[in-house]
Amino acid sequence: MSISRRKFLGWIGAAGLSTAVGSSAGAATNKHFKGYPDSLGVLYDSGLCIGCRVCEDECNKVNNLPPPDKPFTDLDVLDEKRRTTPQAYTVVNRYAGSQGPLYRKIQCNHCLEPACASACFVSAFTKTKEGAVIYDPSVCVGCRYCMIACPFEIPTYEYDRVLDPKVMKCTMCHPRIIKGLLPGCVAGCPTEALSFGKRKNLIRIARERIRRYPDRYVDHIYGEHEMGGSNWLYLSAVPFRELDMREDLGITPAPALTAGALGAVPMVIGLWPVLLTGVYAMTKRSAKVAKQEQEATVAAALEKAAAEAQTKLTEELAKAEKVKEQAVDKAVKAALEEAAKPESEEDS
Amino acid sequence: MEKERSLLIWAGISTVVVFLLIYTVGVLKVEALSNPSGQFASYLARPDVITIDTLAAFGKLERPPVLFLHDQHTDALKEQNKDCLTCHLSENERLSPKLKRLEDTGSKAVMDIYHNNCITCHADMLAASAKAGPIVCAGCHQEKPLIISSRAPMGLDKSLHYRHSAAHENKCERCHHQYDQENKQLIYAKDQEGTCRYCHKQKTEVAESEKRISMRLASHLSCVDCHRQNLAKEMAAGPVRCSGCHDLEQQNKIAKVDQVPRMKRNQPDVVLIKTNDKEGLKTRMYRVPFSHQAHEVYNDTCRECHHADLKACADCHTLTGSEEGQFVRLEQAMHQPGTTQSCQGCHEKKQRQQNCAGCHAFLASDRKQESSACLKCHMAPPPESTGVLYQEGEMQLARMIPEIWQATFGISYDVKIPEKVVIKELSERFEPVEFEHRKVYDYMVKNIESDKLAGYFHQSGATICQGCHHNSPVSGKPPQCGSCHGKPFNEKYLHAPGLKGAYHRQCMGCHVEMGIKKPANVECAGCHIEKKQQ
Repeated sequence: MSISRRKFLGWIGAAGLSTAVGSSAGAATNKHFKGYPDSLGVLYDSGLCIGCRVCEDECNKVNNLPPPDKPFTDLDVLDEKRRTTPQAYTVVNRYAGSQGPLYRKIQCNHCLEPACASACFVSAFTKTKEGAVIYDPSVCVGCRYCMIACPFEIPTYEYDRVLDPKVMKCTMCHPRIIKGLLPGCVAGCPTEALSFGKRKNLIRIARERIRRYPDRYVDHIYGEHEMGGSNWLYLSAVPFRELDMREDLGITPAPALTAGALGAVPMVIGLWPVLLTGVYAMTKRSAKVAKQEQEATVAAALEKAAAEAQTKLTEELAKAEKVKEQAVDKAVKAALEEAAKPESEEDS
Repeated sequence: MEKERSLLIWAGISTVVVFLLIYTVGVLKVEALSNPSGQFASYLARPDVITIDTLAAFGKLERPPVLFLHDQHTDALKEQNKDCLTCHLSENERLSPKLKRLEDTGSKAVMDIYHNNCITCHADMLAASAKAGPIVCAGCHQEKPLIISSRAPMGLDKSLHYRHSAAHENKCERCHHQYDQENKQLIYAKDQEGTCRYCHKQKTEVAESEKRISMRLASHLSCVDCHRQNLAKEMAAGPVRCSGCHDLEQQNKIAKVDQVPRMKRNQPDVVLIKTNDKEGLKTRMYRVPFSHQAHEVYNDTCRECHHADLKACADCHTLTGSEEGQFVRLEQAMHQPGTTQSCQGCHEKKQRQQNCAGCHAFLASDRKQESSACLKCHMAPPPESTGVLYQEGEMQLARMIPEIWQATFGISYDVKIPEKVVIKELSERFEPVEFEHRKVYDYMVKNIESDKLAGYFHQSGATICQGCHHNSPVSGKPPQCGSCHGKPFNEKYLHAPGLKGAYHRQCMGCHVEMGIKKPANVECAGCHIEKKQQ
């Protein structure tokens, strides 16, 4: 069956309308989520960090990770721009500042609304009420969407493990914190450059430090609002971009960015087939009905025409008969007149 | 099927080739644009760059302004035995800074003067086959000139001021003047001298009553012209070339006088800071005896404190603020942090020096000080002697109060403190640390004694204890670290670090601020001895 332009546009309109109606209902679920109340977090104060790598060492120990190639006492590696690996959930990098070295600690930021969890279609990631984003390897299918989704490039993958590779990232030592212990890195830090506590309290601590020492910090708490906020927070003496921290992320949580499009998915895969099939069926039915009607009309018309033709034929035939009769009569009459004529001549 | 595939491959290859071609051509084009001569542009940095954009006063410039190298021209003229008068006209025995004119009469006239004089001279020199400047438009009016100015600002510091006044036998009138509104002329008023910048601002100001030329114009008219005249008389004279004053290297070569005598401008030696309060001596706060003489030593010009004129602070900064003082009250003018014009602002700047920062870097910038700290400056007249002292007069009072108090309390750094303190924190991994408590204290005392400001504000040992034993009252027996710092991350004491953090922050922070390189912060063994494994 061929579709007309008008019909096609009609279908598209109906489909679009159905999606629009659907997403307005979905928008209510995207309200600003301020994190679980009393969720925990860590404040990293770059100004107090001395770059001793004890946090890396402790992280390695408490997570039973394989020993590194170079020992944790080797501080030259700080100058390499390292990132997290399956063997190192956290790394510290050193930057040259105008007034001495600056440090940046990298690990999972434990977003309030994690992009990794939102991208994972088997729900391998969970945002716990303690604030940690944890990973369940038993359901993971290894698609690594989480790695693509994370704006901080944190999750890593055990590419070199042949059997059962896993996504590896910091857990905020969730098993330890539910037991009331400190995360490994925090416990190890000699200067308390890492403070552990309720996120709301950490923000208060950070604000107080900025207030007391306005010359020592930029007036910004990284992670308070970045990508909707995270449970790991940062203070720094220099603008965060100078520590290679992204300042282009905005304050919208990652799931909110995709919710609109993803919210339309059930609509498209669930509603559209029904709708379009319905539209198709209706169109088809109306075409069928029209055809039937057309056929009936044609038949009626044909019948009528045939009847009319018959009548006309009969009439014509009758007319012809009449003409014929008249002609015969005329001929008979003429013949009779012819026959009668000589008699009269003879008489005169 | 086979044919289709080969077609596709060929199409792919040709697309890549086309893209590569476009890319290379594009790159070459861009390079050609940015680098016309095929060489990298090199800029010439000179201290004598004068931007001639005089016509901008008459409307939009038709061509880019001209960057004129003054020293280059002076040198060229010198070679031909020509002097300044070749270009500059004389007016009242002074050379006008303008080229061959005294006034900018009009756009056309000024333009003609430049074009006629510059081009004629350049052409003449070319005719004489000498090296000469451009004679075509774009030669001088360059769109992108390859010259940048390395001009360093110049000022008359205390030493240079003294050398000038000594050379002129204290004839202040040689430079200092005032404008007489009635007779419309410059006059000299004894003991009314101020720094040039009080009147001569960044830009020339033409008011109805008088014309105040810019600082730049004033200094060149006065300084350079005087130097030139002295040179003509074959006397010792300052520089006349731009680089003489504005080249950083040349500036550093200017002779310095070590012990500069005080400037004489009738300023007090010691003074009770004026409040202009009607109650005189019996104001609500005790008036501060201020040693003007002692503070002069630390500043190069009067402007560092007297930023607008040489009147007393309270004349503009009244107790409740006035328009003249831009509504900065006397209290703010004296205590405002972050500015070097206020007492406290300037003292805070000193606290950032390495010797002081070990303790002071940890003090919050906006902390409220104890009331005893106020009395350090706002000194009470000693009760028994008040009557006698008041009769002596303000100056005498100002001189005597600090002496009397000092004699009463004296300076004492003698406190009974432990020689060593054993720190047993981190005992699972390390042996206890024997902290050289007395050594650190003595080091701080030594630093304080070597500095007058520090000596004045730290007159007792208990003050020094506060450097580490912060947040506790001044006392020779302050609480121990563990009294306030314990287990970390206590929600009830949000801002207090745990004991481990407190020790490390205090020790390392102080070492960093004071530039103590050893032991390095990351070197555990510098302070801790690893426990032997059993």
